[in-house]
Amino acid sequence: MIGRFIVRRVIIALFQLLGVSLVVFFLIRLLPADPVANLVGLNASEEAYIQAERSLGLDKSLFEQLSVFLGFSEPSGLVDGSLGVSWLTSEPVFHEIGRFLPVTLELVTLSLLLSFLIAIPLGMASATRPGSIADKVALIWGMFAGAQPDYWWGLLFVFVFFYVLGVAPPPMGSIDPMMSRPSVITGFLIIDSILLGRFDVFLSVLYHLMLPVLTLVFVISGAITKMVRQNMVRALASDYILYARSCGLSKKEVGRYALRAALTPAVTLVGIFYMILLSAAVTVELVFSLSGIGQYAIRSILTFDYPAIQGVVLVVALLSLFIYLLLDIIHAYLDPRVQY
Amino acid sequence: MSMAEGRGRGRGRGRGQGQDSAPAPRRWLFARLDAFSGNKFFAFGVFIVALSIFLAAFGAMISPYDPQAATGDISVPPPPITEWPRLFYLAISGQLERPPHWFGTDQSGLDVFSRVISAPRADMTIALGGALISLFLGTFLGLIAGFYRNWATELMMRVSDVLQAFPVFITAMILVSLAGRETGNLVLALALVYTPIFIRLTRSEVMAQSARGYVQAAWAVGNSGFKIAIKHVLPNSLVPSLVQLSVTVGFAIILTAGLSFVGAGVRPPTPEWGIMISVGAQQLILGEWWPSIFPGLAITVTVFGYAIVGHAIEQKFRET
Repeated sequence: MIGRFIVRRVIIALFQLLGVSLVVFFLIRLLPADPVANLVGLNASEEAYIQAERSLGLDKSLFEQLSVFLGFSEPSGLVDGSLGVSWLTSEPVFHEIGRFLPVTLELVTLSLLLSFLIAIPLGMASATRPGSIADKVALIWGMFAGAQPDYWWGLLFVFVFFYVLGVAPPPMGSIDPMMSRPSVITGFLIIDSILLGRFDVFLSVLYHLMLPVLTLVFVISGAITKMVRQNMVRALASDYILYARSCGLSKKEVGRYALRAALTPAVTLVGIFYMILLSAAVTVELVFSLSGIGQYAIRSILTFDYPAIQGVVLVVALLSLFIYLLLDIIHAYLDPRVQY
Repeated sequence: MSMAEGRGRGRGRGRGQGQDSAPAPRRWLFARLDAFSGNKFFAFGVFIVALSIFLAAFGAMISPYDPQAATGDISVPPPPITEWPRLFYLAISGQLERPPHWFGTDQSGLDVFSRVISAPRADMTIALGGALISLFLGTFLGLIAGFYRNWATELMMRVSDVLQAFPVFITAMILVSLAGRETGNLVLALALVYTPIFIRLTRSEVMAQSARGYVQAAWAVGNSGFKIAIKHVLPNSLVPSLVQLSVTVGFAIILTAGLSFVGAGVRPPTPEWGIMISVGAQQLILGEWWPSIFPGLAITVTVFGYAIVGHAIEQKFRET
């Protein structure tokens, strides 16, 4: 049953990805930007311009370019998995993204985990004790922190914790610049440093991630608290909680039951929060000079690096579709009533 | 689409909650939220919204200094807040040669206060423009998609799905950078990334309304489909979109400023909050906090104001 559901979802996702690739391909070519002039400079001779245009493959027809992009003709493209070659660095886009993406995933995953650790107790307290201080905090927090300029909060935290208090590192990268980087196994610095037993690196990474994670947690945990609170209120009002209460269970046990019921439908929302954080990470990475996918996107877009732009959009879309699928499967596993 | 889509779905859940709950907690919830969306708070939100629109229109005219011309004072810190009443008195009684730099000046000598109150011209025009266009476009397309169910509207929904798989910030950045960093392009880019949410919200509401008795009755009396859609279904399907609008305006302000923060938005030296934050960021770690703290505060307060108004609209319509 669930196997068929997964197969169907994967097929739909593949079509969606194809749609995304085609849209981004035509979009960047129809917009009036001139990547060639950007590359050779405005004062270049006409010959240099034409030569650059040819070497980028932009002299070909749109259809031929599409066939290159999809990987059906030389040099390379989507089908062989290299996602084309970056115009800026002449490296396969796939390799570059493979280097930049782990930084972002580390940051976002850590932030999301921490946000839930804060939001679940706060949301629960708010729902079980209406009118209490926790409740008021949760309500205002939910409205206030649901939408905030993350880049500005990041700077504010740098000012307070680095400049004034001196307890945080300067916002310059994900590791102490004097420290030798461990060899790459997975690309995730936290995991690699543990695997290699480099605890100095591990601690340095955590130290440098402190403020970026704080920024993202600050921005997202309000929305998560609000969601937990709403679901808890609904769960507490349901018949099975009434039953549990009439059976004489303690308040704590009832709360535990309600929490489970409240969080199961929320599993699918985790994907949305993950994507919100991924978006917010673009500017937060800039503030803290972390070389993640957001920095890569900014670089590629501002230099009109078409293959890299296509690659970034495709990878982020793929990631979102994968996360949504994964969460739907987890949801089905947790909630036996879900049918496909 | 992730951010705004998240809000959209979240709201959908929230709206259902009143109906699902048993009577007792529901009464308490309403009583509490009523008190919450009550006067003082709501008035604050309306004040912020009105102020943002007022400054968009007149901010550049009432600013004490030219927001784009450097004054001779480089990196002057703002006067301490205890000095403000005295300075204010001196300023209005005309005893000062030049108006004080309320928020200090940045490293090129621009008056931060003048720039902060002139910035809504760019920020609010783009954010409100983008959000309103996506509201109109999305509501219109959503009405069609929900009312007429055929292959064409089905195709439209699939296209909208594909658009929703795009990351908002990156997509807006691509559109604006490649189309040229002009105000018009920013408005269009924002409109494009936010339209799918409104399509989805309106469509599902239209589908729910179309099954209701009053629509059946309108059909039975012999009205044309077009008339029913415009006159009966549309007005009753607007609430989710209106709530979403205030949320979207907030996101749009953050996005507009965020784009110029990364260098893909309005061009300097236009007074704009994101540019100001980014210019001040380099000095911030040296302790010069005022050039970027004040514009960020302006964004935070503005977005909060719109969120309050959206919350109040939601409460208002949930009661009735």
